Amino acid sequence: MPTSRHTAFLLILPAALVLALLTLYPLGRGLALSFFATDYGFEGATYVGTENYTDLLGDRFFRRAMQNTVQFTLMATVSEVALGLALALLVNRRMPGRGVVIPLLIAPFVLSTMVVTAIWSAWFHYDFGYLNNLLRVFGLEGVPWLFDPDIALLSLVLVDLWQTAPLTFLILLAGLQAIDRELYEAAWMDGAGPWRILLTITLPLLIPHILLATLLRSIESFKIFDKVFALTGGGPGHATETLSMFLYREGFRFFEIGAASATAMIMVVIAGLLAAVYAWSIMRSARRD
Amino acid sequence: MTLGTKRLIGALLSTSILFGAVSVADAETLVIAGRDGSMGQALELAVEAYLEQNPDLEVERLELTGGGLLETVTIAMREGSDAYDVIMIDDPWAPEFMANGWLRDLDELGGGVDEDFVAPARDVSRHPYAEGPHYAVPFVGNVELFAYRSDLFDQYGLSRPESWTDVLTAAQTIGEGEEDVSGVVFRGIKANPIVTGFLPILWAHGARVVGEDGRGGLDGEGALQALELYLQLAEHAPRGVETYNSTEVRDALMQGTTAISIELWPSWAPSLDDPELSKVPGLIEIMAAPGQVQGPAPMLGAWLVGVATTSQNPERARDFIDFLTSPEMQKRLALEVGTPPTRASVYADDEVVGAYRWYPAQLDALNNAQPRPRITQWSRVETILGDFLQLALIGEMEPADALAEANERINDALAR
Repeated sequence: MPTSRHTAFLLILPAALVLALLTLYPLGRGLALSFFATDYGFEGATYVGTENYTDLLGDRFFRRAMQNTVQFTLMATVSEVALGLALALLVNRRMPGRGVVIPLLIAPFVLSTMVVTAIWSAWFHYDFGYLNNLLRVFGLEGVPWLFDPDIALLSLVLVDLWQTAPLTFLILLAGLQAIDRELYEAAWMDGAGPWRILLTITLPLLIPHILLATLLRSIESFKIFDKVFALTGGGPGHATETLSMFLYREGFRFFEIGAASATAMIMVVIAGLLAAVYAWSIMRSARRD
Repeated sequence: MTLGTKRLIGALLSTSILFGAVSVADAETLVIAGRDGSMGQALELAVEAYLEQNPDLEVERLELTGGGLLETVTIAMREGSDAYDVIMIDDPWAPEFMANGWLRDLDELGGGVDEDFVAPARDVSRHPYAEGPHYAVPFVGNVELFAYRSDLFDQYGLSRPESWTDVLTAAQTIGEGEEDVSGVVFRGIKANPIVTGFLPILWAHGARVVGEDGRGGLDGEGALQALELYLQLAEHAPRGVETYNSTEVRDALMQGTTAISIELWPSWAPSLDDPELSKVPGLIEIMAAPGQVQGPAPMLGAWLVGVATTSQNPERARDFIDFLTSPEMQKRLALEVGTPPTRASVYADDEVVGAYRWYPAQLDALNNAQPRPRITQWSRVETILGDFLQLALIGEMEPADALAEANERINDALAR
């Protein structure tokens, strides 16, 4: 046993060293910088204690960015998991043209975000965009997709949903296909209807996959930057400014590295909490099994 | 093939690879960090011409957006990197670059900057402003202009606007009279674009973003009147102007869907007269932005070129800059790419003026141009102002409140 532990330790060591070098060191440095007023590194930096954090929490733009990020994360994650689940349930059945439908559903996911934002930027155009032209065909008014402060964040969710629902779809389809078909046959023989089967067999067995999709999408959504940067720049006003955009501006436009590091630390804590909730759920379901 | 022959070929190959590597390592290289778009095309053309004269030189050229260039070069300079020899900078970045010692003193390096360069562009190339030695040479003579549709003005009996009040009247008259033409257009997105459109209005009202005392200057009556006029103008702009950037403004001008653009950059102008690109060729009049309580105050937007302090090849970099900004190259770039010159002599050239009818007005605007505040914190100050201008534009804040909070934050930024 000691030999086997020793071997295990040696096998893990390279990965642990790489992890420490690439993750823990920058994290530690970022944490340290968040307690300094600095325009770049530690040279010439002034220790300010928790001032960067208190300044951030008192800044209306930071609070707005936090609120937008939480709203975006919730809306994007829930809608993407729900749509992914609906599509997976649909495609998991025997249906004609399944071999064509699956690649078509996955297509948006393989596009780069810059291509996706270019497509949607054209679709969202108020006067000439595809979406408003479609609405006008039905006699409806055009929607100010990107310049109404009450709609712009929803528009970004729509773009994210279009691009990344295929990921949740694939995860959940894999989960559905792993469920033993004998369970369904037994349920049919016992007279269970489709809804009862869905609620008592499919969804409970799919929970680990739903949790995985939720975790992956919530962490990714929480970090949203590229779509905001390319489509709205955080505007109109601050209606779509997210924490990543706020961090980018502080760090790379103003070189307020202390404030940017403090923002990053707050983001790390929130993302860590999300991951911890997932880990706890997984362990709990493993113990139940 | 015998073993000896194989060994001989192997030895020859190794030697040639070794010598090849040495010769590559020894080749003189010049690295230029510059802009993309039409300014990138101008640099490319100049580099090609320079390489014809210097065939042994290797040139690496970065083409970056404005924001990308600022980030890339600032990070490199803060790290003391010697990656770049020639750096292109926007004039508001100059105080930070020069005060931090990131650029070489060009007077010391040799050559100076002669008086053919227009004075406002020459002044921003010096540190301290207008007085100290030259740390850069003006390369692109950008100045903010104003454009309007002369046919629509004639049709509605409007004369050339002399004040911003005239502009508002014209925008209202034409906007209400024409179904598919907006009264006015401008860049409404946050940060630099919205601020750039607003500054000539602010200045014409006698207000300043940063006052002579070095503190925020947006707390006066002039600033409030300027913002109120700007918001009244916005009522005659197309829906969604908050998201408009250069592309949308140029499209509106070229498609004939706007009567006035409060902002026009010289590099946009040639396409307005091109019948293949514009639906209204020859119908757009270009002038310096009007005044209000003060005379016209066109905004200087010059791009400069300097030599990085960390450059390993400063003499070559300086030589290239002299070539790039020489009267001959400035004329060629103006004619072939449409790059606005920074030399007065090029604006007086008959061939150049024959190609671009608005050049006399452009030179007039350039000679009277005002630079943005010469402070190292301009990037932050501009972002703050842009944020609050847009909050007022979308109706989330009252104009007075927006200016008051912007001023407070600007004072904080200036105190850093």
